[in-house]
Amino acid sequence: MTTPIGKTPPSNDVGNPAPRSRGYFAEVWRQFRRRKLSLAALGFVLTLTAVALFSPAIVGTKPIVCKYQGRLYFPAMGYFYDKWENPVFMRDKFRRIYPKNLASKDPKSWAVWPLVYQDPYRRVRENEWEGRPANPSGDQGVPSQFNLFGTNQSGVDVFAQMVHGTRVALLVGVFSTGISALIGITIGSLAGYFRGWVDVVLSRLTEVVMSVPALVLILALISIFEKTSIWHVMAVLGATGWTGIARLTRGEFLRLREMEFVIGAQAMGAGWMRIIFSHVLPNALAPVLVPVSFGIASAILVESALSFLGFGSPPPNPSWGAVLNNGRSNLQMWWLVVFPGTAIFLTVLAYNLIGEGLQEATDPRLRNNEK
Amino acid sequence: MPVFPQKLLLVLLVTSIVPGCAPRSAAVPQAVADQSSANGPASPTDPVAKKEFQLGDLLAPFTPPALPELESNVTWIDRPVVDSIERLREQQSHGKPTGTVEQALAARNDSPDANDLICSVLGRLPESDAEIEKDATLVRHTAMDMKSSNPLMGSSVMEFDIATLTSVGLFSFDRDFQPFASADTVVSWQSSKDRLYDKVVMRDDLTWSDGRPITAHDVAFSFRVIMSRDVPIPAVRSGTDQLKDVHAYDDHTLVYFHKESLATNDWNVNFPIIPKHIYEKSIAEDPKLQVSDYHTKLENSPVVGGPFRIVERNFGKDVVLEARPEYYLHQGKQVRRPPHFKKVRFRIITEHSVALLAMKRGDIDEMILQPEQWQTQTKDADFHEKCTKAFGTEWVNFHFIWNCKSPYFSDKRVRQAMSYAFDHEEMLKTLLYGLYEPCNGIYHKSSVWAPPDGAPAYQQDLDKAEALLEEAGWADTDGDGILDREINGKLTPFHFTVLVPDIPDRIAICNLLRECLDQIGVKCDVRPLEFTVLTERGRTHAFDAMFAGLGTGTDPDSGENLWATGQERNYGNYSNMEVDRLYELGKREFDVKKRQEIYHQIHRLMYEDQPFTWLYFRNSYYAFSKDLRGYVFSPRGPYSYAPGFDSLWKHSAH
Repeated sequence: MTTPIGKTPPSNDVGNPAPRSRGYFAEVWRQFRRRKLSLAALGFVLTLTAVALFSPAIVGTKPIVCKYQGRLYFPAMGYFYDKWENPVFMRDKFRRIYPKNLASKDPKSWAVWPLVYQDPYRRVRENEWEGRPANPSGDQGVPSQFNLFGTNQSGVDVFAQMVHGTRVALLVGVFSTGISALIGITIGSLAGYFRGWVDVVLSRLTEVVMSVPALVLILALISIFEKTSIWHVMAVLGATGWTGIARLTRGEFLRLREMEFVIGAQAMGAGWMRIIFSHVLPNALAPVLVPVSFGIASAILVESALSFLGFGSPPPNPSWGAVLNNGRSNLQMWWLVVFPGTAIFLTVLAYNLIGEGLQEATDPRLRNNEK
Repeated sequence: MPVFPQKLLLVLLVTSIVPGCAPRSAAVPQAVADQSSANGPASPTDPVAKKEFQLGDLLAPFTPPALPELESNVTWIDRPVVDSIERLREQQSHGKPTGTVEQALAARNDSPDANDLICSVLGRLPESDAEIEKDATLVRHTAMDMKSSNPLMGSSVMEFDIATLTSVGLFSFDRDFQPFASADTVVSWQSSKDRLYDKVVMRDDLTWSDGRPITAHDVAFSFRVIMSRDVPIPAVRSGTDQLKDVHAYDDHTLVYFHKESLATNDWNVNFPIIPKHIYEKSIAEDPKLQVSDYHTKLENSPVVGGPFRIVERNFGKDVVLEARPEYYLHQGKQVRRPPHFKKVRFRIITEHSVALLAMKRGDIDEMILQPEQWQTQTKDADFHEKCTKAFGTEWVNFHFIWNCKSPYFSDKRVRQAMSYAFDHEEMLKTLLYGLYEPCNGIYHKSSVWAPPDGAPAYQQDLDKAEALLEEAGWADTDGDGILDREINGKLTPFHFTVLVPDIPDRIAICNLLRECLDQIGVKCDVRPLEFTVLTERGRTHAFDAMFAGLGTGTDPDSGENLWATGQERNYGNYSNMEVDRLYELGKREFDVKKRQEIYHQIHRLMYEDQPFTWLYFRNSYYAFSKDLRGYVFSPRGPYSYAPGFDSLWKHSAH
């Protein structure tokens, strides 16, 4: 059958339009969902995120919410930022012990307490909470109904440290890799898109940064700064961990910039910023997520290693690596090794599984191989 | 064997002890001199002109009188020349062991009585040489490597431990800190009645490890080396610098000339000796004694005069010493007692937990136990199969140093408030396992220098702490929950940092301070630092508060260097004119009773001023191999006195 010039070819299924094809990310998600392990890992990470967000409500010695002298307060927010714990309690000499002071200083007061009365920073003393014994110290702190994961040598509850340490682990992972991703994607995009001398300069810069050992840099930083915090550690991890992402982004850009849609955009007069960020980057992003996921795992490991060596977040910030460090001096206290070790292992494994899932979901070749 | 008093020990780590004083040598001028020498001769006005090395340039010009002239003008008093082993044997003969060896070896040391049993039975000298294992090797644990084998360069416990075994010395002191001349090296010791001169006649049967005789000229030369500006002496210059001169009148006769008649002069004559014939030509070329090829070779294989010589040095692994037969044999005749060991190996294991595993396996013969190890990891049969353990009172105190020039701690009421705020009981019972004694000031209660009516150690009293802070002007005026005060026109929150060595139990104590202060609206950050950085921060006073420890000196005057105004190691900038005056008085007072009263007064004044918050005395807790015998504890532990190491021996299985 022929169609005269100037006429639209007839449709085969008039009134029944072709289904809209899935977007790239929707397709990646569909593929990702097929991998049960990766999906379980994602669930695990989301659970950890929830634990980190609600850690003061899970375990702590400060009320989540309380009514004191006719006003509502949220002292548990002090676990996130010291100044969020209202100073009224300092003025009234609570001395960080709430249960008895609330009752004695205002009999009409009420409070909603965390699920577990323990503190990640200090040893809970006798009868702080009616009928609760003091936390055992030394090697006596085996897991019990009062200390679910036991206590360390100083009598600080391990469960409380683990729960609040989740914040440190996830913060380090997400923020440092976020910084890495930002730097890596920017540098990789520019190098891959412009090629030529820009590529040469940025690639050499990448190689220089690759040769700087992050751990040594962190140790140097810790000795220079008067007050190092976990944010400094994150910044250094982020500032040194972007090289893999940059190289991958560069590779993707080198490939994509030759595609017709980029040539088309150039032909239509689109500026380089628009081409990079609106056209190329969205198509290059999915493969880049893979090293990001691995990077989070790696950052968590580095932070734990630093804390294990005693160079992590400054004391007494709870961190999984720091708990593990406590176990180093007394291996008979197995709970100081098993719980943080398992948490680090599972979290790193989860991020690696997510990374692997993303890799397979974004790379059709791997999918075919699987089949 | 000689034991050097090391004046006062600054202990920032259990295993890293920095003695006496910080280096005072002119490192920068030396660097400049090296540079200028490379550029040819410099003019006298050249700011980088090379200064010719001058031996003993820190000494004022002095011409010693002729010996007959001195003898005619001085009335001499005989001083003790002691064989420390014989003295210990005599002391032990007055008491009997409280049990049998079998009972002592079976004891678990879970009570003071059990400790007494172990120390009284296993701490004894052998009845006869047949009991001693021949050709025994002693393996000692150390957590740090030796930086220098030159005894003048010693700055840590490891170096002084090795110097004690390899060096020759004329003086020593017993566990009651009574000084004497060593019978191993000295024939006679006399002091002038006015205490301005000490005369020593050395033995003529002493030889260096290269076969040359050890003479009085070596001693005089060593003194001049110590008193040379360009030689970086880390510790032993302190005290020695109180001498005007040391003069050798012949090969064996020495006179020490003191600047002043002081009660501390007995300690100032005790310094290490190096061989003159080895260093006299090379020192001008390399005053650092560690740079030139010649000195580097000597570092690894030094010429020594003590009972042992270094035969192996593996960096980060071990240092092996071997007994020198020529030390105790002279022309084929035994002239001194041979050491109880053929070899001594210092095994370097930085991790205490790993060292304990090595101890249990029998790889090492002794180690210091951490409180946690003593209390929780050395009670089982596994440990007691090859090891036993013992403890003794040691006068090492730990404390927080407050920088008295910091805007936070210049007021003594604030410092007192810190001491009241801290939960001493929680620290002693929980963090230190109830093993250490509370500390209430600069002298241990069993020392004669501590006032008998000494004030009790501080106890936590938060109300009192708050009241004192309020009196000192600290209040929460801006309602943010943190105390504040106007300083130089600016509202300053009470938020400071405490520096601490990067050791878990020390950090835990600082965390407890943070927790206690947090309860009264004072913010404290805990900053763990590497040992050398921490020491440097202390030396330059670049801190608000610091956790540190101090060992004991042999004389109470050694504290002057720590607490008198403007002194080099007065890290906390403490100043009290009355304390300064009393220190000056104390060193010039020879009457023991009056002298004691002076130091009692210093103790009381410092208790009132609280330049430190004194925390606890760390006792000696040791694990020993079951074969080892003869350990006797002193306030400086089982080694750092005479006989100390010399009394140790291994029991023969046959």
